[in-house]
Amino acid sequence: MIDYLLRRLLGLIPVVLGVATLTFMLIHLVPGDPVVAMLGDSAQPADIVAMRHQLGLDQPLVTQYGAFLGGLVRGDLGESITMRAPVRRVIAERYPATLELAAAGLFVAVLIAFPLGLIAGANPGGITDASAMGVAVLGISIPHIYLGPLLMIVFSLELRSLPLTGRGGIAHLVLPAITLGFSMAAILARMLRQSLLGARHAEYMRTAIGKGLSPVAALIRHALRNALMPVITLLGLEAGALLTGSIIVETIFSWPGLGRLMITAINNRDYPLVEGCVLTFALSYVVVNLITDLAYGTVDPRVRLTSR
Amino acid sequence: MLKGARAQLLLLFAILRLKPKRTASHRGRLLLIAVVVVLAGCARRASVAPTDYLQVDINVPPTTLDPRFATDAMSGRIDELVYESMVRFDQAGKPVDELAERIDQPEPTRLVFHLRHGVRFSDGHELTARDVKFTYDTVLDPSSGSMRRSALAELKSINVLDDYTVEMTARRPYAPALEMATLPIVPAGSPSPHSSLLIAPAGSGPFRFAMYRRDEALLLERNPTRPYQPGTARRILFKIVPDATVRALELVEDICDFTENDGIQRDLIPYLERHPFLHVERSPGSFLQYLAFNLRDPRLKDIRLRRAFAAAIDRKAIIRSMLQDTATPATGFLIPENWAYAGDVERYEYDPDKARQLIEAAGYSKDDPRLRFVYKTTPEGHRMAEILQAMLKQAGITLEIHTNEWATFYADLQRGNFALAASQLAVASPHDYYFFFHSSMMPPHGSNRVGYSNPEMDHLLEQADTTMDPIRRRAICAQIQQLAARDIPYLPLWWINTLTIANQRVRGFVRYPDGSLRSLATVRFSPPAAPIAR
Repeated sequence: MIDYLLRRLLGLIPVVLGVATLTFMLIHLVPGDPVVAMLGDSAQPADIVAMRHQLGLDQPLVTQYGAFLGGLVRGDLGESITMRAPVRRVIAERYPATLELAAAGLFVAVLIAFPLGLIAGANPGGITDASAMGVAVLGISIPHIYLGPLLMIVFSLELRSLPLTGRGGIAHLVLPAITLGFSMAAILARMLRQSLLGARHAEYMRTAIGKGLSPVAALIRHALRNALMPVITLLGLEAGALLTGSIIVETIFSWPGLGRLMITAINNRDYPLVEGCVLTFALSYVVVNLITDLAYGTVDPRVRLTSR
Repeated sequence: MLKGARAQLLLLFAILRLKPKRTASHRGRLLLIAVVVVLAGCARRASVAPTDYLQVDINVPPTTLDPRFATDAMSGRIDELVYESMVRFDQAGKPVDELAERIDQPEPTRLVFHLRHGVRFSDGHELTARDVKFTYDTVLDPSSGSMRRSALAELKSINVLDDYTVEMTARRPYAPALEMATLPIVPAGSPSPHSSLLIAPAGSGPFRFAMYRRDEALLLERNPTRPYQPGTARRILFKIVPDATVRALELVEDICDFTENDGIQRDLIPYLERHPFLHVERSPGSFLQYLAFNLRDPRLKDIRLRRAFAAAIDRKAIIRSMLQDTATPATGFLIPENWAYAGDVERYEYDPDKARQLIEAAGYSKDDPRLRFVYKTTPEGHRMAEILQAMLKQAGITLEIHTNEWATFYADLQRGNFALAASQLAVASPHDYYFFFHSSMMPPHGSNRVGYSNPEMDHLLEQADTTMDPIRRRAICAQIQQLAARDIPYLPLWWINTLTIANQRVRGFVRYPDGSLRSLATVRFSPPAAPIAR
């Protein structure tokens, strides 16, 4: 297990290097100059030159890349061009908000998906199955940009139960989490239903029912555990997507997360900040996938995590 | 509130009426109840807005709280509430005294500012000439990296004559010299924000910074050293709400008191106007929407073709439909309210027949394949691009729309990589013509991105900058505007109105063409009204 973890952590190095290099190249290849964007129309050429020198943007790209990698080794992501603050600090300010929203979205997704998937998988072809899958289809079809304001109108403006926007306590988290988690719940529920359908006809299910377990109990105790593997895989992938794909939800709910920060940074060509944000997202994705792999072993003892 | 509570009770009642069949469903029912109870527990009371508290919704955060480093519009608008400068612009774009109580000009290159006595920063210490010099010195110091240094390019030196007198010397007789005196003043010794732009020096304006959470909210509270009228706002909360629909909902639901310009999506104006407790006001604005013709393109060098474009665009129809009557057809860069505005210039009315005639006169047939132009725009401008495309199609001109996000669009403009491009510009003074029309101002030196070069215009622009007599300068500015309208390297489309939406509680907001929010310091709250009926 420790060998496996070490191996995976070592595997992070080429991932970080690859992501860092790609991001660096792409952001520098896109047209647009951070200094010109920052100084505006009336800037004097001398000021542009001075600012470019101050930020090290007048150096050859290879030198800039070397400095960037050197900083990365020391854990220094540089300084945001527009905010004049260390990128590490700016990201540290915003990352908890993104993490909080993603975790809450994941929680909501699981909370909705498991009952829906179980109901549908337990009675395939019945009215409960049709209803549960109807909800799932609705979840997949309804975009964040529509669901968010809809929830706001119902819960914030009509019922006046929840805050409209912003980040605060749990109350502030409810609506963005539902908006974010609903579509993921729909995908998970459909996957769970499909997995359960496959497991229902397995021999161990007939044995379990033959031993006297009710079909529902057999489904929950035996089929569900076996049906979880593909669901966990999907959960891992979707959890990563929740971290990176919450930009629309962050905008609708004025949530001060990393997604909005990255979009602003891209628009301003704030190179260090863009690189920092992308690296953070990539690392988060890798960590979530590692957790997913570890979860396989917990759910299915046949899966052994070895260094091979 | 009652309505909300009733709905929650109805929901609870409906859940409780579900007939239990199995233990599992019973547990499910309990879970549902728990969810409703949690939601109800999160309830906040519908607040009656306090009478001394103002919430202003804004769409983007200020990039910095230090006015020496602010170049974006939002930072500038908030800074006006916290800081003061020696002079500021009035509604006609004329510099008026703020910290200065008198200004002398002993020589064409020298300005002497006599500062008001007894002005205090919010930290309690008195504002003197040393603070003024310090502020200018830090901006002028190249190592500070201040983006405002370029605005002081004509400033040769700034000296302290005594505690309340500052002398400013320009490099040459420079008519717009007073514009250099609009820099907000911070206390001497304020650190340069090398570590973060969120460090706010003290200011002498009506408010001071109380709290700022990046991308969330900014709170201003009254400067304790300045008295203020009872009935005016004691605190102002600038809430950053990036989504236009949510900003509108906050206005309608009485959460937000005030928003303006970029905070308002034009499509939502009819909806907002239906609410009697919201005051939607349009007033002249100094933001110009213009169409730039790249004169390096041999086709667009022909003035007949540029005039054909002007005649083929029905600006009034666009203003009426797309902009919900929140703009005024433009005749030039400067708005009629500006002291230097000249209205007797060539005007281009919508006339499709004339457009076709001009195209023919320029040697093109109808639907000539040579009349295909690359039009660069941003996602925000795409809708307008499509309207222009349809209008110009009627005249036989084809627009190929290329939409890029702002930084790429701007880079293309700077490189001259366009045939046509629409953009916006905040025009504050006649001096802005210099940046856009003088032949020496082509990028990277200035904003003449269309490559316009006319010795007559260059001469007039130089004269306007060095003529100190205001009457003569005004006459020269009029000639500049006439020549610009005749040559149309840029087609002024419309001036975007200053648009404000305020709750009826908020009274006395004074609108400035540049969208200044400085009068939030003096708006008054009317007595609490009866509950708002929705």
